[in-house]
Order: sequence, then C-alpha cells, then structure tokens
Amino acid sequence: MEKIYKITLRIHRYDPDIERSWIQEYRVDAGRILRFVDLFRKINDEQDPSLTWNSSCEHGQCGSCAVRINGKPMLSCELLVENAVAYFNTTLFDIEPLTIAPVVRDLVVDIEKAYEKVNRAKPYIIAPKPAAEKAAEYCITPQELEKYVAATRCINCFCCAEACISSPKAFLGPNALLASIVRVMDPREQEKTDRLALLYSDQGVRRCHTSKACSFVCPKEIDVAYFIALAKSGRFDPNP
Amino acid sequence: MNRALQTSATLLCDLLIIGAGGAGMRCAAEVLGKRPNSRVIALTKVPHPQKSHTSTAQGGLASVDPADPADKIIYHMFDTWKGSDCMADQNVVKKICEAAWEQVIWLENRGMHFSRNQDGKLSKRTFGGHTLNFGERSAFRAVFEADRTGKGIMDTAWGESMKQGVSFLNQSIAAELLFSDDQCVGAMVFLQKEGKFARILSRATVLATGGSGQVFKVTTNCRQNTGDGLAIALQAGLPILDPEAVQFHPTGIVGPGILASETLRSVGGILRNKDLEPFMEHYAPKMKDLAPRDLVSRAIETEIRQGRGVLNPDHHIEHVWIDLRHLSQKVHEEQIPEVSGFFKQYVNLDARTELCPVRPSNHYHMGGIPTNLSGQVLNSSQNPVPGLYAVGECAAASFHGFNRLGTNSILELITMGKFVGESVLEFLKEAPQKPAEASAVKTFSRFSEYLEGRGTDSIGQIRDALRTLMTANVGVFRTESGISEAIGALKELNERAQKVSLSNKSLAMNQELMQRWEMDALLAVSMVIARAALARKESRGAHFREDFPERRDEFNHHTLASMTVFGDVALARRTVDMSVFNAGGAHHENFNLIERKY
Repeated sequence: MEKIYKITLRIHRYDPDIERSWIQEYRVDAGRILRFVDLFRKINDEQDPSLTWNSSCEHGQCGSCAVRINGKPMLSCELLVENAVAYFNTTLFDIEPLTIAPVVRDLVVDIEKAYEKVNRAKPYIIAPKPAAEKAAEYCITPQELEKYVAATRCINCFCCAEACISSPKAFLGPNALLASIVRVMDPREQEKTDRLALLYSDQGVRRCHTSKACSFVCPKEIDVAYFIALAKSGRFDPNP
Repeated sequence: MNRALQTSATLLCDLLIIGAGGAGMRCAAEVLGKRPNSRVIALTKVPHPQKSHTSTAQGGLASVDPADPADKIIYHMFDTWKGSDCMADQNVVKKICEAAWEQVIWLENRGMHFSRNQDGKLSKRTFGGHTLNFGERSAFRAVFEADRTGKGIMDTAWGESMKQGVSFLNQSIAAELLFSDDQCVGAMVFLQKEGKFARILSRATVLATGGSGQVFKVTTNCRQNTGDGLAIALQAGLPILDPEAVQFHPTGIVGPGILASETLRSVGGILRNKDLEPFMEHYAPKMKDLAPRDLVSRAIETEIRQGRGVLNPDHHIEHVWIDLRHLSQKVHEEQIPEVSGFFKQYVNLDARTELCPVRPSNHYHMGGIPTNLSGQVLNSSQNPVPGLYAVGECAAASFHGFNRLGTNSILELITMGKFVGESVLEFLKEAPQKPAEASAVKTFSRFSEYLEGRGTDSIGQIRDALRTLMTANVGVFRTESGISEAIGALKELNERAQKVSLSNKSLAMNQELMQRWEMDALLAVSMVIARAALARKESRGAHFREDFPERRDEFNHHTLASMTVFGDVALARRTVDMSVFNAGGAHHENFNLIERKY
C-alpha cells in the first residue's frame, strides 16, 4: 500500500568558509519506510547537493549518523518516516547536529574531538593477564561474561553523551566511562588502579546526575546508567 | 572559480596504511608490536576507524581449533577450495587456514568478547559450506561474538593499534599513489575536514580500502565502499585480479540491503512472488528454498525479470516476498528474533503476520588488487611492486576464488593483516631510512576539473543510473548483449560525470566534492567488472553467464584487468595455484578440479 508523507525538515546548516549558521527548510515527499538518511540523500539528489551529513553502515552498527531530531539524539539510519511521524506526532522535524563536538559543516561534527574522552578511558586491555595455557583462550564462563557483555555493545554514537544532563566540560561522559567499566569488569585486565583512578576522578562517575537519559536514548538499548551506577556504588573501588 | 590547488604539508612515516578497517589495523598492530618506534599513519575515509565496514560483519570467523578432535585444517582448506569453484590459490588457502586459530587467540588475548560455552571456552557454530571429512557433515568451525563478530574484531584491532601509537588521519582519502623509480613511496592525500592536500612520503604503503559494493543498487556494504583502492591502483597502472567475481546474497532486505539471514529459509520461510506463488519449486524441485545462495539469487532475479516481482514504492526497488507467517510463535521468538527485528526496524512490519520484502543484494567482492602470499602488490608482469602492499576486501591474494564462504572474509583480513605486517617489517629492515621524494601527477588536475565542471547533471542521478545499470546488466545474471550494452552506457555516464558542476566549490568537508571523486572510482570499477565479465564466457562461482551456463576448463585462470584510460581495458591471465594438489599428499585428489555440488 503506497502512502506518501509530506515531510518538512528544518535542517541546521553551517558553512565554515563564511562562518555562517542558518536554518534551511526542505519539503520532501516520502514513503512510509524511508529512513532519515534516505531523506538526506533525496535532498542531495533532487534539491540541494551541498547539504552535508554523515553516515557509514546505515544499519545501526556504526553510529556515524547520529543527529538531534526534534531535540532527541538518534541514529538517522534507524528512524523510519512512518515511525517518526507517529513518535513525534508531527510531519515537521528540526534536524540539528550533536553538540558534543564542534560542527565542521551542516550536520557533521568533529567526532574525533568527542572520541578524545573515549581514548582517555583506554578502550583496550592495558595489562593482559597471561592465559592459563600458552596459545590458548582465557576461560570466561557465560555467567561471568553476562555481567558486562551488554556494555561491550556500545558503538560510540555519542547519543548518550548528547542526552546527558551533567556538564560535558567537567564529565567524561557515559560512553567513555562505559569503555573503562567494561575493562574493569573484564577478568583478563590486570590494570585496575589507573582505571579506578579515572572512574573516581573529579571527571568520573561521581559527576553523573543519574538522570538515566543515557539509557533512555541508547540505540543499542544498553542500560548505560546501570553500569555507571555499579561504579558509583563503589563496587569496583577497593578503598571507597 | 579558478584557484591553484596546493600541497599544505609533507608528512614522513615508516608505514602508511590507507584504510583503517580490520585488515589495516591488524597490520598496524603487527608492525608496532614488533617495531614499537615505527611511525605509522593510518588514513580512513570514515569519521573514525570504529565506523569501518568491518564493524558490520555478523556471523563468525572460521578457524579449526587444534583441540577439536573432529575437525582438521585440511577440511577447511577443501571447503574453501570447493566453495571457490576451483579458483582460489591453494598456497594462499593453506597459509590462511593454517594460521586461523592463532589469530583467533591473538584477538581473544587482546580482549575480544567472544561468546563462550559452559566450560568458558569459545563457542562454535556451523556455517554454509563448512564441513567435516570432505563434505560429510556440517562442521562447528566458526567462533563468534554474538551477531557482532566484526565489531569485536574492529574494536580489538583499533584498540591495539591505538595503544601502540598509530597516528590516525580520519575523514581523509588517498587521491593518488606516489612512486619513485617504480617503488611506491606514499600517497597524495586529501584531508576532507580541513579541505587540504598533504603529501605523505612513506617507506612502505598498505592499501586496505575495503569493498566496492556501492557499484550496485542494493548492497550490504557501507555508504563509503566505492572501490577507491581499486581505482587508485588502476590509475597507477596496476591490474585488478578477477574483478568479475562479485558475490550476491539472495535475501537482502528492501531497501537498505541488510541481510536477512539464511536461517529464515532453514526454519521454513518460503519465497513467494507477486502472485504469492512459492516459486522455488520450479527452480530446485528437491531443495526448494534451501538451495544454495547463488541458485536462489538467480531464481529471485528470474521472477523479477519475468514480471513477477513487486515494486517497493518507497525505495523503487523490485523484490519478492519471504513468507514467515506460517511459522510457530516459538520459531519466531527463539530462532529468528533478530532478523524479525530488522524487518520491524527497517520496513516496519510484523514478520509473524505480514509478508517480508527481500531481493538479491550485493555482498562481497572476491576480486581485487592482486598480491602474493605476503600481501605484496603484483604488477602486470606479476612482479612485486616494492613498498606497496594490499590487504582485506580491496586485495586479492585469492583465498576466495570465485565464491566466498561465510565467515572466511574476516578470517582473511585478520590473518593476511598479520602476514602483511610481517612482510612490511622485513621490508623496513632493508628500505632506506627516509622515503624517496615524489610528487603527485594527477591529483590537482583532477580536483581542478571537479571544481570547474559546468554541466547541469546531478552526481546523485548519474550514480543512481550507474547502480541500476550494473545491477540489471552485470549483476546476478550476465549475458554478452547485456554486458556490452552496459559498457556502452558506462562510457556515456562517464562523459556525463566529467561535466558535472558542483553547487559547492568549497574544499572543506565538501561531501559533494567527495562524491564526485567517488563517482570516478565507481565508474572505473564498474568498467573493469563489466569488461572482465564479458571476456569470461563461462559460469563459475558467483559469475553467472546465461549464454554460457557451464564452467569451462579453458577459463581455469584468473583474470587481470588493467585500465589507465577510462574504457581502455587490457585483459591478461594468471595461473591458479594448485600446489596442494600438485604436492600429491594425502587427500590431494580433493584439490583437483572438482564439481561444486552440495
């Protein structure tokens, strides 16, 4: 059944060459199962090739296409027109870039800057414990893995950081903390001191206001706030 | 606007990696692990390495566990050889299959979160074409991290290379390889975000740019997989191996192309056409919907071509249905919840009560920049190009031949990534401390042309026409007349593309400018695919010629396609390595020219 929605997108634009920002309105006729990335492409192909936006995998695995849609940080590859109209109860959408990093052009932000916080949390094993047998895997039971496996699903789309109500300047942010918490919980990691120092530093978990906005907006449905709460409870801290 | 483009900076390094996906990062980690003070620069077109296409791989990674009493490396080698339709190079198959488990342990020991069995060891599952005892029964050979194995590999390889100090240049492209006396000495790079050109002089250079799926209208590939690595190799006068070997998965979801797993058919899903007729019984009376991937893809395409497809009004893509409505609630909930979730997410329908739209979707390019066992790029005379390596989907040492088995792609990128790293380390021992000087020849003139175009055509429309054309004429089905028509049409599209005017002439983060550059890559890759497909008058693996439906012995050779001027393609041959068969050891007869029948 063919159904056409008359969609209006008010897209926040920025031109770095003249350092000018403005809001540009585009009207698009869209079928029910087009995604917002499809609408951006349609605008490029049919109306305005200069509109710039980011995406990569376009099926919710890479997180490149996160933007704010009517104020809510979301992956534009996952939002279907039909669902957007139902969810926001409108055909008018404000599309803005995330605020967690400086805008490069239009909807593209300098995600490297945002990643600096993730990098500080060292998203890898710092000091791996030797496996019991040489050239073999570690033994990790499914029950043990289950305790932290949800946190490994983070794709660093920064929707959680965007929604977070704590001051982004003073706070590392939910996804960066999650990267560290995964390794604190990972039995293969021997280095806990530096990690705990970071988690309980003045930019760490105690800055969290427990609004749970991170869990609410996570496109991978990770309960980010739960993991931060584990850390806040002092559970990992040998000297609380 | 007429302005002089210029080089803003020259950077020096020991190793330049073009493409920071799984293969490139595994290579970087190997080099830095053994030679910690190396200066390694990794370039990626995506905003961050973690956004690479490797992250989207789902199913698993094939490797024979030495502790498994039932499985043997020679079985994995046989499956890969048979799957390749006798076109893989056997020395490569042997080397990769033998190295597999060690690389799994490498990943695990560095923190990949593999799924576990009750003993705490790595879980294993079966995958199509992977068998025990030369086809006797299914092998439990694929280790996995839930349905996000590629993400685990990407995160681990990225983490390791970052830990060891790789410098990343994100959102950047290599516009041209630089040479000095036939040795590769780096690349001319365009930094998109800054809108600047930089010359990177490097002692060794690795191409790891990934696939080229965007050549086709429906693809499982990322938006950025436009065959850039193949295009810059062609531009440098290097050949492409087996460009005609392109794999299609039968059931991509309309329209994003996300895979609807084979599981749907194995649990009883039925493919139906416009009239709701279960058409597979006409094509494979016994196996029906459970027939192999390529056969099902051809059946679906035939239905669509004969007017029994359904046109999706939103994506303007023709498809058939997969019917899952008759399956029990238990099957829906326990066996296919994730794929059902994809239909809900991307088509907004309930697979328990509604028909689900699917069609063949481009998935993987078996062909690529030819390399030897160590990942050194081979020129038209099949000699290694000093200082240049290729790895991952853009490369072809020929592990997959003409058809890739599921779970073998990420195995290849992780093992070959290591081998290329080793090879680079050897090279760095001998190469001069400072890379030779060289300047770009074509970059500025090409970019000036892009900025000065005066036509009225749109890049989006040309790209759409190209992708539609390639899907219809050089996709699942190929015929002499169809391919010839495509070659003519590609020339026209190329002429149109050369005239396109950009609405935004800025250099900084100009998506339109990048798409214009990508357009040239798509056109070049399409042309070599088409020309190689035209010359191969047989059907083999994923390459199916309706006018030559059988495999023919006279084509038991790889294709090498070169093209420095658009449309001017030179074709040559490379012998398929059959060293395992020729060695005459135990079971060697299985490595002869066998029939691919399941």
